[in-house]
Amino acid sequence: MNRAAVGTTELTKRYGATTALDAVTLSVPTGSVYGLVGPNGAGKTTLLGILAGLRRPTGGSYRVDAATVGVLPDTPSFDPWLTASEVVDLARTLTPSDVPASAVGSVLERTGLDDVANRRVGGFSRGMLQRLGLAAVVVGGPDLLLLDEPAAALDPAGRREVLDMVAALKGDATVVFSSHILDDVQEVCDTIGILRRGSLAYEGSLEELVAGPDRLPAFEIEVRRDAGAVRDLLRSCDWTTEVTVEGSTIRVTARSSAIIERELVRCLARANAPVLSIGPVRRSLEDVFLEVTA
Amino acid sequence: MNLWRLERLRLLRTQRIWILLAVFAVFGVIGPLSARYLPQIVEQLGAGADIPVPPPSPELAMSQYASNVAQIGLLAVVFLAAAALAFDAKREMAVFLRTRASVRQILVPRYVTTAAASLVAFLVGVGIAYAGSWILIAPPDAVDTLGAAALLALYFLFAVALTGFVASLVRGIPATALISVGVLIVLGLGSLVPAVGRWLPSALVGGFDAVIAGAAFTYWPAVTTTLLLMAVGVGASIRLMARREL
Repeated sequence: MNRAAVGTTELTKRYGATTALDAVTLSVPTGSVYGLVGPNGAGKTTLLGILAGLRRPTGGSYRVDAATVGVLPDTPSFDPWLTASEVVDLARTLTPSDVPASAVGSVLERTGLDDVANRRVGGFSRGMLQRLGLAAVVVGGPDLLLLDEPAAALDPAGRREVLDMVAALKGDATVVFSSHILDDVQEVCDTIGILRRGSLAYEGSLEELVAGPDRLPAFEIEVRRDAGAVRDLLRSCDWTTEVTVEGSTIRVTARSSAIIERELVRCLARANAPVLSIGPVRRSLEDVFLEVTA
Repeated sequence: MNLWRLERLRLLRTQRIWILLAVFAVFGVIGPLSARYLPQIVEQLGAGADIPVPPPSPELAMSQYASNVAQIGLLAVVFLAAAALAFDAKREMAVFLRTRASVRQILVPRYVTTAAASLVAFLVGVGIAYAGSWILIAPPDAVDTLGAAALLALYFLFAVALTGFVASLVRGIPATALISVGVLIVLGLGSLVPAVGRWLPSALVGGFDAVIAGAAFTYWPAVTTTLLLMAVGVGASIRLMARREL
């Protein structure tokens, strides 16, 4: 079993009458990329703030097992009269570990800011500031990175670079990655925590989340004609639990994947059904997210 | 790049040091000029009325400088200090620093650099006023000038410490500056109360005129209180800011 780099137990944070975090217990395995998702106001930033030591919990406890922690706020901001190179160099010198000065240039190159290294950051776009923030975080080679919406303001190319950087950190560092962009979470995270109104609604692997523990396997069949007849035929089969039709598409649900994979094609062939396509029904993370946070 | 260089760059690249120096230098010029030509100015403006004015003297020249910088110069120092010491006014900027350095490491360079800049600007003004007085009237007594300047310099340092303390109680640069100015005004009024006045830091401002005029130095109570309040204020601000959530 992988040791947890971050663990919280019944972590609670209240602001007056408002409960921002309500008894959140989670565990982030060392070396993993942990996706923290949830709607606005779910408590993601508060949770990251507590883990970064910038906020105090009202109740419960937390443990961070990392020598160095890098934190990227959702909208990074720096003194506008500093150059990009100076910002990263300041971050480097404030790092407890001995990082060589040459790291500044290489990190700026990795984040696509080498062309503007000597420009003052006052004129930077939000996307450039986000890249600069990430550069300042990774320059120190932290064991734990707390990234609050790191790709939110980036163009597609910048987003790709950030996701690649986060993916490359997997194994070397632990990353807690909060995001609204579910595709990003699906792409780089191996564990996910869904916050809903301050509570942890789900924690586990993405595969388990998308598959769903109690969900029966389903297939969709598209036919050229006679969808109603094919539906009636499938309903007559004892292995199906539900058969529905929408236009020319039939959805079949069975008790197990093994049965449906074995029987479905056989049944369709026997009926000479004019099949255009067959495929399993996969739920997107977005479907699941909306379900869990509803 | 380190936190000390960061503060030097803040002063230079934001032009704040030049603005501060300009404010004190201008009053350094105006002080002796107004002392030298006050009778003529009053005569021109008085339209024949008999208004008594003190004759030009080096003490008057230095006092004019002190009274100007104790108002406008003090405002400039407070705004400079608020801009540097209210470092968590913007959360995202503060996150960058707070997750990498302790509040003590962040604030000490800011206190020292702001205090040093204020001190240098004030002393440059004193030097200009001294030279101006020498040229236009007569040289002020050097020892008295040093004693008087030391009192007012301490008051400026107190203003920096006070602003830092206020920054740890409220969030935001304008609020910090305005409340600090308000406290300084209240302290100024407090110095008019005989029983407590001589213990308050604001007594140092009045002390300038007395010491430059050669009066005996009776400001140790105010000096002691000021030093004590500065130490407590700086220490408390570091503790309070370290506890403040972002």
